[in-house]
Amino acid sequence: MDERNFLFLFYGLAAAWILLAGYVLTLAAREKRLERQLDTLKRMLEQREKDG
Amino acid sequence: MRFLRRSLTVAAKDLRSELRSKEALNASLAFALVILLLFSFAFDPTAETTREISGGLLWLVFAFAGTLILNRSFARELANDCLDALIASPVPPSALFLGKALANLVLLLAVELVSLPVFGVFYNVRWTPYFGPLLGVLVLATWGLAVIGTMFSALTVNLRLRELMLPVLVYPMIIPALMAAMQLTTVLLAGEPVSGDNWLWVRLLVAFDVVFTALALALVETVLLG
Amino acid sequence: MGDAMRRTILYAMTALGALWLARNLYVILLALPDEVAQGAIYRIFFFHLPAWFTCFAAFFAAGLASLLYLIRKSPGYDAFAAAAVEVGVAFTAIGLVTGMVWARIIWGIWWTWDPRLTWAFITLLVYVGYLMLRRAIDEAAERAKNSAVLCIFAFTSVVITYKAIDWWRTQHPGAVLSFRTGGGTIDPAMESMLFQNWFALLLMAAALVLIRMRQERMAREIDGLRRRAHAL
Repeated sequence: MDERNFLFLFYGLAAAWILLAGYVLTLAAREKRLERQLDTLKRMLEQREKDG
Repeated sequence: MRFLRRSLTVAAKDLRSELRSKEALNASLAFALVILLLFSFAFDPTAETTREISGGLLWLVFAFAGTLILNRSFARELANDCLDALIASPVPPSALFLGKALANLVLLLAVELVSLPVFGVFYNVRWTPYFGPLLGVLVLATWGLAVIGTMFSALTVNLRLRELMLPVLVYPMIIPALMAAMQLTTVLLAGEPVSGDNWLWVRLLVAFDVVFTALALALVETVLLG
Repeated sequence: MGDAMRRTILYAMTALGALWLARNLYVILLALPDEVAQGAIYRIFFFHLPAWFTCFAAFFAAGLASLLYLIRKSPGYDAFAAAAVEVGVAFTAIGLVTGMVWARIIWGIWWTWDPRLTWAFITLLVYVGYLMLRRAIDEAAERAKNSAVLCIFAFTSVVITYKAIDWWRTQHPGAVLSFRTGGGTIDPAMESMLFQNWFALLLMAAALVLIRMRQERMAREIDGLRRRAHAL
């Protein structure tokens, strides 16, 4: 393989993967937050319905 | 035929309402003049550079000042539930939209036609040769601006951040029309007729207007009625 | 579909996509021939083009879903559109960045306002506007309706970006793929790799869209539960 400009190729691909990884991480964070909210709400509703 | 008459009634109502208070008109005009002033500080306009940037500068002014008018389009109906009343009336939503777009066209053109002589004076540009074609470009491009602006005004009417969201959504969308208008205006202000390659820009403007008017007329009912 | 099975499928899709991309990377770096003038940097094209095609596919799917939402009013279409646009924006960013890195080497500049690049940037702005609009509307039905209309308008910028290299003389390289030029402009091994990478990226994008869609549904469920909680 012609090695000229290989460093920038590496940087470019790294940037692309970092962007993708960053997006996946924000998705994961949002998932956790949503699940936590859902759990809290469900528990709170059960509690309220029990108290009636 | 009745559709057109209803649109014109709505347009007349909007224009009458605006001309009584002249709020948006004055604000828009003042804004346009201020931007023209500011740009004169941003670059020192010698004859050379002015000729090259005249179209771009003018249309930036028109686009920025225009948002003030476009914002009011549906926002003015929010008080006293006027918007609900309009939607409940026998006027079809597309006629309502067309009427408002026409009113906006008139108001925008008014601001533009006042700004043009001021621009001519401040930047020492002669705009009277080829005024006919220039007017044509103004009408075509301003119609594009009015259609997109009125449409997105309907989309954002219920938002708190309406004044912020409207420019953010409108500006990217009208870039083809702005590009064409800037190019053609620069050519016409430089004292040359539209010729050869430049007819491409005219075709672009017409296509833009046709496509987005059709799209807006088709979709505005969904936006307003749900 | 049970949660566990759904999770398995998503992981499988992602893993398959990732493995395929890894294998492709090996081929790209070691097996494909050199390009005459550019050195190694030309190989970024094998991610640059697929990223943009994935982005276009996502925005097209979102536009279709938006249209279907306006016709059928089923919230699933709205969830899909929102998810597809978000994933599309992520891939737009990737497309822009890979292009800019290539441009820095080949043209000496990070950016230029030629039609292709300008329209690519406009596409990004337009769909970011879509995401902003969704954030700004609290009520679910109005949000779905208005963003659906915006999505349809927004798709025009994708069409123009795609056709930009045909309609204007651009600094950006012209079309090379056989279906656009009729053949003979690109080494078939390279063309095959382009499509393979594209499909691998599509696989990952699909997984991401599915994950994001489910999050939309969860958010709506939370909304409903909140309303019940307030009522009690």
